[in-house]
Amino acid sequence: MCGRKFQPGRTSWESAVASQHRNAQYLGNRRGIRKMNSKTATFAPGIAVLLLFILVPMALPAQTTGATLSGTISDAAGKVVANAKISVKNLATNQSTDAETNSAGSYSAANLSPGDYEVSVSAAGFDTRVAKVTIAAGVDQTMNLTLISGLSLQDLGFPAAEVQGNAAEQARLNKRSHMLQIHQRLGLITTIPLGATVISGFFAGGKTTSSTSRDLHAALGTATTGLYIASAYYAIFAPKIPGTKVEGNIRLHKALAWIHGPGMILTPILGEMAFSQRSKGERVHGIARLHGQVAIITAAAYGLAILSVSLKSGTVSKSAHAVLATFDRKRPLPANASTGNNAQTGSAKNVEAHRTPESGFLKGSTFYPD
Amino acid sequence: MNKKLLIVFLFLALPAVARAQSQWVLEKSTLTYHVSHPLHESEGTSHAARGKGVCQAGQCDFLIAVPVKSFDSGDSNRDLHMLQVTRGAQFPMVTVRVHLPEAALTSATIHCDLEIQFAGQTAAYKQVPFQAVTHGNDTEITGTIPTTVSDFKIDPPKLLMVPIKNDIPIRVEMTWQRKK
Repeated sequence: MCGRKFQPGRTSWESAVASQHRNAQYLGNRRGIRKMNSKTATFAPGIAVLLLFILVPMALPAQTTGATLSGTISDAAGKVVANAKISVKNLATNQSTDAETNSAGSYSAANLSPGDYEVSVSAAGFDTRVAKVTIAAGVDQTMNLTLISGLSLQDLGFPAAEVQGNAAEQARLNKRSHMLQIHQRLGLITTIPLGATVISGFFAGGKTTSSTSRDLHAALGTATTGLYIASAYYAIFAPKIPGTKVEGNIRLHKALAWIHGPGMILTPILGEMAFSQRSKGERVHGIARLHGQVAIITAAAYGLAILSVSLKSGTVSKSAHAVLATFDRKRPLPANASTGNNAQTGSAKNVEAHRTPESGFLKGSTFYPD
Repeated sequence: MNKKLLIVFLFLALPAVARAQSQWVLEKSTLTYHVSHPLHESEGTSHAARGKGVCQAGQCDFLIAVPVKSFDSGDSNRDLHMLQVTRGAQFPMVTVRVHLPEAALTSATIHCDLEIQFAGQTAAYKQVPFQAVTHGNDTEITGTIPTTVSDFKIDPPKLLMVPIKNDIPIRVEMTWQRKK
């Protein structure tokens, strides 16, 4: 019975073996040594199998204990990087073991079975570093890695104010674009009554014209003026963007507004005067006689203003220059503009040679925005 | 004695070599976008890009950035319109990140995977070819990035209610200087 007593420090299989041994001794004492030996020989394979069943599970954990990968993570200057996240991924099984560096920049990933691994290291302010390592059975490895600081806009020397977004400025830009889009659409719509007004004007000013023609002309003119003012409103009151230097075709577009703007005010005033005079049976006289000319110049400037922002940069200014140069040919040339036998009229070649923006009425022209 | 000194020297020098890194700095650049519209074509150019590259352990990381408002098309109205549609005030910088093996820098044609942040969006362009010509420490890079307005969820700017084409290729001319 003593053999069955629990003995500290002994495992169950050791106790079992000891118990068997004691039982054999007990039997030997009673039946003799020879008989005992034959019995023991009979049970030996069974005991061995039993031992294997007991021992093998105990030995397995010792075999699965793999290698350890450890090391230090530092930056380019050699300073250790704490709290860096390390992921060690077995490329065969895709199983990952995670670790983190301590305050000394050290990490350790234990129990790694043999195979190829991908080590990924990431830390705030650094680019993620990936490296590969092969782990051999039971062989601990050291892998020290250096992290490269992630490049930032500050590294490039941009001032912080320049790289930060400005929602208020974006809102101002959005409002400006929205208002200018309305300006553009109304401006295009205005061309319809404008064209109709100009055409109807040819039938409204003669002696034989009826009051209906004049009424139609006046109505179209009023519609044109109304649309024009609405369109102008959206251009004038669109938010200005500080620090913007006006350049390009928009300069011509704005310059032409100084022609068609006053023209759009003056034309209906002169038209009203002419209308009134005609309605009284009088001939159009005084400054009212300029109504037609002012209207044509206004319409031309307006059309040019639309073209100036619609065509390729410089096209309109060059076209305007060409048109104005054609008219300019009618002006007398300076005395030194031509030579030889063509001194009075000038040859075509010499005329072209001297008709530069600095000569004639193109001198000082603003039609060179580029 | 000499062998011992050599071994000591190697032990001291190897860690330094392992950490050796080279840097690249963008010396000058010309970036030009091209916009197509049925009525006309236009281009905007910027010389304000800044860039830096760091190479270590055979891998290089480059960062190039340029302010959106630095692009000049010669027409202030168009530039402001472009600034608005590209949300340039809210996202004032265009940044380009490139990661490539250091060995690729010696090729006459470098194929780069680009990650571009623009207008609050990020788009990736794979294997964009750039021509490289090296003169001493300077390397001139030229190429075209096939960007589109839809890549960055930009409403195409309109002229006379007609939108521009989707493609806005960016021509790149850069000179990089290598610094040890």
